[in-house]
Order: sequence, then structure tokens, then C-alpha cells
Amino acid sequence: MTVHTPIETGSRSIPPWAIGITVLIFLVGGVYLAGNLSGENPPIGGVPSPSGSAAGGPHAQALITEAGCQACHGDDLTGGVGPNLHGVASGPTSENLQDLGASNPEDWANIWIAGTDPAVSDPAMRSGMPAFGGPPYNLSEEEIATIVDYLKSLE
Amino acid sequence: MAVNPKKLRPYDQPPRKRFSLIPSAPDSAAGAFLVVSMLWLVVATGIGALGAFMLTMPEVLRYAFQWQFPVIGNVAFEISATTVNSAFLNALVYGWLSNAAFATILFILPRITGVRMRLEGIAWGAMWIWNLGVAGGMAAIFFPTFSGGGLLAEFPTAFDGLLLLGLLMVNGAFWLTLLAAPQRLPYVSLWFFGLALLTFMGAYGLGSLVQAGDWLIHLDDTLVALVNAFVARLILTFWVIGVALGSLFYVVPRATFNALAYGGMAFASWVLWAGLSGVSALGALVDPSVPFLVTQVGNVGTILLLAPIFLAVATLALTFRGRWSLSLGAGTLAFALLSLTFLLSTAVLEAIGALGSVQALVRGTEWATGPIIIATLGAATFAHFAFADHAAPRLLRRDWGDTILTDLQLWATFVGAATAGLALVGAGIVHGSLLAEGAPADAVNGTLTWFRYAASAGLALASLGAMAALVSLFLMYTTARRAEYALVDAVPADGPPADAVAAAGS
Repeated sequence: MTVHTPIETGSRSIPPWAIGITVLIFLVGGVYLAGNLSGENPPIGGVPSPSGSAAGGPHAQALITEAGCQACHGDDLTGGVGPNLHGVASGPTSENLQDLGASNPEDWANIWIAGTDPAVSDPAMRSGMPAFGGPPYNLSEEEIATIVDYLKSLE
Repeated sequence: MAVNPKKLRPYDQPPRKRFSLIPSAPDSAAGAFLVVSMLWLVVATGIGALGAFMLTMPEVLRYAFQWQFPVIGNVAFEISATTVNSAFLNALVYGWLSNAAFATILFILPRITGVRMRLEGIAWGAMWIWNLGVAGGMAAIFFPTFSGGGLLAEFPTAFDGLLLLGLLMVNGAFWLTLLAAPQRLPYVSLWFFGLALLTFMGAYGLGSLVQAGDWLIHLDDTLVALVNAFVARLILTFWVIGVALGSLFYVVPRATFNALAYGGMAFASWVLWAGLSGVSALGALVDPSVPFLVTQVGNVGTILLLAPIFLAVATLALTFRGRWSLSLGAGTLAFALLSLTFLLSTAVLEAIGALGSVQALVRGTEWATGPIIIATLGAATFAHFAFADHAAPRLLRRDWGDTILTDLQLWATFVGAATAGLALVGAGIVHGSLLAEGAPADAVNGTLTWFRYAASAGLALASLGAMAALVSLFLMYTTARRAEYALVDAVPADGPPADAVAAAGS
């Protein structure tokens, strides 16, 4: 059986250059803190508050969280794999929805989110966007309308 | 005189060797954790590659449906980019890195203290309990009805309990062994391990408590999200980075045969890491309900974490003196050198990401995942690769040198982790910039697709590296000649005599 020795440790002191660099890092941190003492935190990874006066804001936020919209559209719905949802009040921002927006200017978003209409149920067109009006989500028309009202209030 | 074994009567034959389900032989727990960790590495990187691929083509492989049960109601099942990417990070941290960390701690502790592991059988049992919890929690991620929300907080409460029990058992074995050691001031690796184990158990306990409270009395969503973010940050800085540093402080002097350069610098890195990791976690508390100053102090803590990482990296780099050529080929020191590089990159990226202007640009983008990939799949993974390269032949009692598989493991994982991490960081910057410019959604998606392809390719390469590591371990066990290494076995259970301590370790 081989006999081994414990790990030896060199000098207990800290070399001056290491002390200097450490002090420099602390100075940078101190200066940064001194220059950034005031401000306001954004909401934590949650659905943003509506900027308008949309009815059912908290209910819509809960529906959006439950349906998992943020997984594709980003924590604050500004876009991820899926497009930015701020500004949908002015119409579709994705090219594949331009025709749908032109033919249904009032409720194109409701039709698109539900995804049960044959005109918008083609998987190639949906590019991974679930049909929230069908299983497993089964959102009702009222719930989808609440979400759409909320989205239209986001600037 | 030659004996014909067929002529032996039953009572002449030696008793059959029996293997117990929970063995308590020296190193049995460390060996079990090491083998299981390698299996998790393959699973984690495989899931990661699949998840990154699903981000580039979300319509492919997406699968969701629900069942209806009489008592519990609707149960949804979902394989999507969201669930697969959650499973990836959980498998990486709780599967691969945590099992490897337990193996590291249980291997190094008796060798540094000169005391045989206490509660070896309990530690072995912890391996089963921990991995049962991780496997169950991983499966639950694909059932959104049961899983929790938030980074590294997706496991349901029942599986959290198993993980906490496993942690308690490993903590018990660690502290009982350490308290039996005659040294008053143990080697710096054990300082890192001790604090990492305690804070991991505390942080995970806090997260589980809040999740259980939310399940029972439905707590405020913001409070739950804040606690989850705080706990995830604590786990990454204290547990993932802490054990990686402790492991490197052991492996580098062993593999170079040099004394650890500047013990004072190593200890200073521990003190600063211990103090600043907790402060840094305050930076995760980003919400209007938290005073801005508290979040800013946390962000400055993240910037200051550069100091302990710099001190640790400098100490270990100086320990390489005269042995740099050993790090040129694939092996323990090459893995360690890459780990140091990734550690420094992680600290720099985290410091940059803590700046207010950068946070405003990259908030909610892919940036957040980039430094996590570099920390977990880069810094911590290579630290554990270095440990495994050093420890696996000793744990499996095999005479084994590095082979072409080790080269493949090193290069595929290095290129993969660097590509995936940098692609996500780049995607975050580009995504934030395009959003700030008000670019149309299609243009944003079109540009980001290339970064997602790069991340996907990087994770696939890392998966190849993981496969090479597992095959190498398998070949080592099945084909290499049996060899004996020093064990802390002859030491009496009530502790070694003082003069025997110097002969321990390996």
C-alpha cells in the first residue's frame, strides 16, 4: 500500500500584487454603488402591469401565467421564441398574421389564440403556437377575450 | 499440492462473497456517487441538446395532452421547449453536478483528515435517496400540474423532501468525520465543502418550505418568485462554484506534486467567497417591492465576487509552476486549467451582467442562461472532470491512463460549453438591442435563430463529450488491470494516532 502525504501549503502571506488587485476590485464596486443608489426595480420575471385601463388585469395576468405564454413570448412578453406582444393593439406584428388581421381587424387576436378555426389551425402557420382554445388548455372565449383586452393595453 | 476444486466438499469451500445493498467499505459511497453522476451528465447534456434544438424549431417534437382522473382532476403532460429546458438545468445541477460534488467531498475528506469516513453506509443510502428524488422531480417537470415554477425550483414538494433527506445524510457523514479529525485547521478544500454543504441544505430547505407553504395556503406569487430567484442564486454561487473551487484546491496540488502556492491567498479567497456569495444573492431580488438599495448591494456583491475568484485562480495557477507542460495533453491538469478559465469567465460575465445598464438591455433575454451554462457546463463540469480523472482509477481500483476518449471528452465538452454559453450571451445582447430599436418580431426571430442553432450545436457537442466520459469510465472498469491505491482503511474508527495523520491522504 502506497503511503501518501497530506497537501503541503506554501507561504501563508498574500503577495502585494494580489492585495492591490483585490483592493482595486473593491474600489470599483464601491464607486459603482455610490453612483447607483437610487432607482426603481422592474417587476420580477412576471407579466407586466397593463399601461392602459384594461379590465380584469390581475385575472388576465393569472391566465397568461397559467397558460405559460411567457415561455415563448418572454417574461415581460416583449418576445422570445415567439414575437413581442406589446403593441398588438395596432394589429399583427408577424408576417403570417397580416391576412388574418386584414380580414378580421377586430378579433384576429382572439381567433389566433384560440387556434380552433380551420383558417388558423395549420401547424405550419402556427409555428409552434399552441391552440389555447383546445386541449390541454381549453381556454373559454371569455378567457381569451380577457387576455386579448389585456394584451391590447400593453404599450 | 494442487487441489481439484470440483472435489472440494461444501465446508471446504471458501464462503461466497456477498454484496450488501448498502455497502460500507471505504470509498463505496464516493464511487457510487461518481458513477451515477456520469450517467446524469449524459442524460443532462442529451436533454440540453434536444431543448436547444426545440428552441430553433418549436413546432417540432412539441407534444401535449391531458388526462382526467376522478379524484385529482385534470393532469396535463407537456413536452415543449419550456419543460425540456427546465429538465436540462435541473438534471445538470441536481443530477450531474450534485452527484459529482458528493463524490468529490466523500473522496477528499478522509484523504485530507486521515480519518475514515463516518456513516459510510448512510452516505451510500443518501445516494439512492438523492437520485430517487432527482429522477422523480425530473419526471414531474413534464407534468405542469405538479411541478413548481422558477429556476431550479420545479421539483414538487414530495421530491424536495427526498432531496433534503439525502442532503441531511451527506451532511451528517461529512461533519461527523470532520469533527473526528485531529487537525484544528483543516485544509482549505474542506472549508469550501463544509460551507457549501450547509448553505445548499439551508437554501434548498428555504425554497422547499416556501413551495410547501404556497401549496398549502397559497402565498403571494411575487414572494414565491423572489424566494425562488434568491435560492437559485445561492445554490449556484455557494454549491456549484464552492465545490468546484474546493475540488480544484485538492486536485491541482495532487496532480502537479507541488505545494499549494500561497495558503493565505487561498484562505482569503474562501473568506471573500463566503461573505460575498450571500450578498450577491440579494441581486436576484428584482421587484418594486424590494428596496432598490438592497438589490444594488446584491449587484455590487456580484461584481465583488471577482475578487475571491481571482485570488483562487491566481493561487492555483501559481501552483502549476514548473508543471505547465502536464496540462498540454488531455488529463487532470488540462481539465483543471479549463475549469479555471471558465471560472474567471463566469465571474467577469456575472459582474458585467450585474451592471444596471446591461440589465436594462438584456432583461428577459437569453443572456441570463449564458453565464449559467458557462458556470455549470464549463467551470464546475471541468472541475469535476479533473477530479474524476484523478479519482476514478482510485475509486474503481484500476490501473488506467488517459486515452483518445479523454481527448474527445475534453475537446467536445470545451468547444460545446464555450459555444453554447457564448451563443446565449450573444443572443441576449442582440435580442436586447433589437428590442430597444423596435425591430419587428420576425426580424428579431430571424436573427436569433442563428444564435439558437449555435447553442444547439454546442450542447450537442457537450453531449458527445459526456458520452466519451461515460464510455471511458466503462472501459476503465471492464478492461483495465486491477490496482491497489492507498486507502484510509487501517485507521481505527475512533481516529488515528497523531503521528499517523501525516501518512494519510492520497
